[in-house]
Amino acid sequence: MSEAASAATGNAAGAASRTLATDAWRSLRRRPDVIISAVIIVFFVVMAVFPTLFTSVDPRHCIIGDAKIKPQGFGNEFPLGTDSFGCDTLAQLAHGSRPSLLLALVVVGTALVIGVTLGLLAGYYLGWVDFFVSRAVEVFLVIPYLLAAMLLLSLFKNVDLGSGAFATIMLPAIVLTLFGWMGYARYVRASVLEAKNLDYVTAARALGASDLRIMFRHVLPNAIGPVTALVPTAIAGVIGAEAVLAFLGIGVRPPAISWGIMIENGSSWVLGGYPHMLLVPLTCLLATVLSLVVLGDALRDALDPRLTA
Amino acid sequence: MSAHPSTDQHPATTPASGTPLLEVTDLAVEFRTPDGAVRAVDGLSYRVEAGRTLAIVGESGSGKSVSSLAVMGLLPDNARVTRGSVRLAGTDLLALSRKEHRARCGEQVAMVFQDALAALNPVHPVGYQLTEALRARRGLSRGDARKRAVELLDLVKVPNAKARIKEYPHQFSGGMRQRVMIASALAMDPDVLIADEPTTALDVTVQAQVLRLLAEIQAERQMGLVLITHDLGVVAGVADDVTVMYAGRAVEQAPVVPVYTTPAHPYTRALLRSIPSAAGTGRLPVIPGRPPSPAAMPSGCPFHPRCDAVRDVCRTEVPPLATPAPGRTSACHFAADIMAGREPAAADADAVGPTDADPAAVEHRDGHAMAADQATVPTLDDQDTGGSDD
Amino acid sequence: MGRYILRRVAQAVGMLFLVMFVLHLLTTLAIQLNGNPALAFFGDKIPSPAQVAAVEQRYGLDDPCYDQPGNPCLGPFVERLGQYAQGDFGTNLRGREVTDIVASAAPNTLRLFVMVTITWLVLGMVLGSVAARWRGSPSDHGIRLTSVLIDALPVFVLLLVYKEIVTVPLSTWSEETFGENSWPPYWFKPSFDAEHPWATVAVPGILLGLAGSAAFIRLVRASQLESYTGDHVRTARSKGLSEGRVVVHHVVRNSSIPVVTAVGLTFAEALSGAVITEGIMNIYGMGGVLWDAVQSSDVGLVLGIVTILTAVTVVVMIVVDIAYAALDPRIRYE
Repeated sequence: MSEAASAATGNAAGAASRTLATDAWRSLRRRPDVIISAVIIVFFVVMAVFPTLFTSVDPRHCIIGDAKIKPQGFGNEFPLGTDSFGCDTLAQLAHGSRPSLLLALVVVGTALVIGVTLGLLAGYYLGWVDFFVSRAVEVFLVIPYLLAAMLLLSLFKNVDLGSGAFATIMLPAIVLTLFGWMGYARYVRASVLEAKNLDYVTAARALGASDLRIMFRHVLPNAIGPVTALVPTAIAGVIGAEAVLAFLGIGVRPPAISWGIMIENGSSWVLGGYPHMLLVPLTCLLATVLSLVVLGDALRDALDPRLTA
Repeated sequence: MSAHPSTDQHPATTPASGTPLLEVTDLAVEFRTPDGAVRAVDGLSYRVEAGRTLAIVGESGSGKSVSSLAVMGLLPDNARVTRGSVRLAGTDLLALSRKEHRARCGEQVAMVFQDALAALNPVHPVGYQLTEALRARRGLSRGDARKRAVELLDLVKVPNAKARIKEYPHQFSGGMRQRVMIASALAMDPDVLIADEPTTALDVTVQAQVLRLLAEIQAERQMGLVLITHDLGVVAGVADDVTVMYAGRAVEQAPVVPVYTTPAHPYTRALLRSIPSAAGTGRLPVIPGRPPSPAAMPSGCPFHPRCDAVRDVCRTEVPPLATPAPGRTSACHFAADIMAGREPAAADADAVGPTDADPAAVEHRDGHAMAADQATVPTLDDQDTGGSDD
Repeated sequence: MGRYILRRVAQAVGMLFLVMFVLHLLTTLAIQLNGNPALAFFGDKIPSPAQVAAVEQRYGLDDPCYDQPGNPCLGPFVERLGQYAQGDFGTNLRGREVTDIVASAAPNTLRLFVMVTITWLVLGMVLGSVAARWRGSPSDHGIRLTSVLIDALPVFVLLLVYKEIVTVPLSTWSEETFGENSWPPYWFKPSFDAEHPWATVAVPGILLGLAGSAAFIRLVRASQLESYTGDHVRTARSKGLSEGRVVVHHVVRNSSIPVVTAVGLTFAEALSGAVITEGIMNIYGMGGVLWDAVQSSDVGLVLGIVTILTAVTVVVMIVVDIAYAALDPRIRYE
């Protein structure tokens, strides 16, 4: 009987979050800025997953004799020109999108799991768990993440982890995750504290549902909306941070290609008369980041009931 | 009701039987909205004399708070007074400059707001807020201000006043906070006090205490008191006169006793029926529907969609202000019928023909209504004023 | 209030200790995993054995715990804390005291922060007020869109575009227009000039301020909207107080609370921004020094500056907390 009752309340919570999601989807679908952003994001995701759709050239096939060719337009040999080493810009761009986006995805995904778990535990059990999580959040918030990344990544500068897709992004991924989970933890903790006192949660507890069940069936669905809205902005932040770290030579490192590395290489050739080397990767970076932020803003409007109230 | 056995009823609408402290005449307030101008108050008139209490009763959105904000010159930026006058001791406040108007606030007319937690500034100590106006406008010294703050808290019966003036609003309980709010309004000894739902946010027992306090202070100082409330139950023990507002208009104005015994408007009647009573059994009647939005006012009588005595004429014609009994007004086509507790004229007849076909019948009913009035409320003695209300 | 300050300061000291410990743990772990600790400190350069030994001794890296991954190296931590307490934050590769470098670089960082703060306040006040005053109008929506765009623009991109694309034509143009020795050419210099610190820091500061201004615009808008409808403001007016007094003692006084909080919350972020700005624009400030230190793998300098800047962040947060409590009694009495 208690199972049936708690299943019923669980369904109620599930239904509530479903209608919120449906409402959000309905309101997002009608905003042109959201649609444009989504198209841009999908475009770059496809590029990251299947770079060969966009270029048949090997990005590492660089002939120094072909260096510094200006964009020739599509249909020609070097549609977006070449860089100072003679590598094809388009090929680099297409293949470089993968580390940038993969890094962002890995960092935000891992940080999300860590933050949500810790926030859930802290908010649900309170007491000493909450004490430790809250202190940890404070400590990691106080250390400016860029400074921490600079310190740790310079310590690891000489380590060679190989050249696989994951190996090249592993170090920045670890460091950025380490300093990227606190926001989610705080948000989830606050939501849990709120949800814990809702009637259907009290009812489920009174009926003897287990802690785990209450957390995942009743409390988490409440917190997931506002946290989802943080994700696009966080992804944008990581993409931006990757560019900064690459510029410093401590992010994704050559010979791997990323937009950050292209920007770093290109920035010194602008005054020499080859602005495309900087502008091409910079435009892609900006388009992605902008789309993500617009999407995040719209999601926040649609998903966070506290803001619309 | 029994607390104030009034023998000398001065109906709210009777002119010049004493200089009123505050006299509002034909006040209209409009809000600018993206969909055009919306009228929140439409032709409201009332008067308050020294030592008397006028209760303005209505649901939220009826314009009762907006009208008092207009009196205080505190309307939001998108609202403006389009018509009427507000005379305070003979001066039309609305004709004054904003600065002159402001200067009379606090001194001559003061206001107690609904939610004291929001209405008091959270970052200043209570003592500071009580005497801020005295210090800024009358140049009271710090020490005198402190003494005055303690006096004011004593006046509203906040215990341990000396220590509490240093505390902040959030450190007070709801009832005590409302007392502070009242004390701060009394700081400059105003002639008229407007209390906007002063007890809504409080527990029922505390409500009674705060209302009693207000009544005591008012009696002691012979202030005019305007008590704004949505709860007719609150009015009985405190008010002398009642103005019932609906959709920006005064639908009924009368001394307090006849309003309770023989309401002359279906809305008042419905409000009275929905007061829970200790003796009451069974379902509490509620007024169906919701008050109309000022932006989408129904045709004819604004109350007709919710009225239990609606007739065809109500749907098409705005009822004029009727005088079903001397000293009373009601904005209902069938005021006399309602007052007499009768169903308005045969519904079927109204459905086919125009309502005012038989003026004689109306006269006749009016006579009955008067008789009924006198029969049920023997203390009522307002025939001698013989007021004409138009 | 006094007790509140004492409690917060005690908490801050605890926090500082924790932060130091976390930094120490991360550094230690990095050194342990990275193999030769002394070499890590030299980065790409090839040190002489004497240099390695000196560095090892200098940082207490001769302790065997650095060869045991997972060992928290508490001994060296206590030793290092002792050095910090004496104001010793280590040296750079050339043996110059980190505190000395920071002392000479800090004024430029302060200049940058002055420009940033001015930009925040001016943009925030002007755009936020306009948006609040004409709420729901096209200008309100325009300002909202602008603040989203500002949020989206990484400081890094902004500065890179400015430095690589905008500065040269602008400074050429201003030299031709205003003469070589006038002020404008210095404003648009692509890099810092120690002779003209204010002029060359101005534009980078404004750009960094612009990047962080979105939060302030939204904040000012929200707090002003509240003050237009705020119940306590209406009460103050109902007492017949003059509009000037109402604005100063009730509107500005109350809306200063969220603005102060925002300064605290954005400080850590602004510090990261300052590092990027000073790095890209070659400003000789703490961030610029850190930027160069990372590029030249001067890990001792990086560790020293990161430690100092983190400590500064903790201090700023405490100051903000105390200011917050001074402004809002509801916090003080919790």
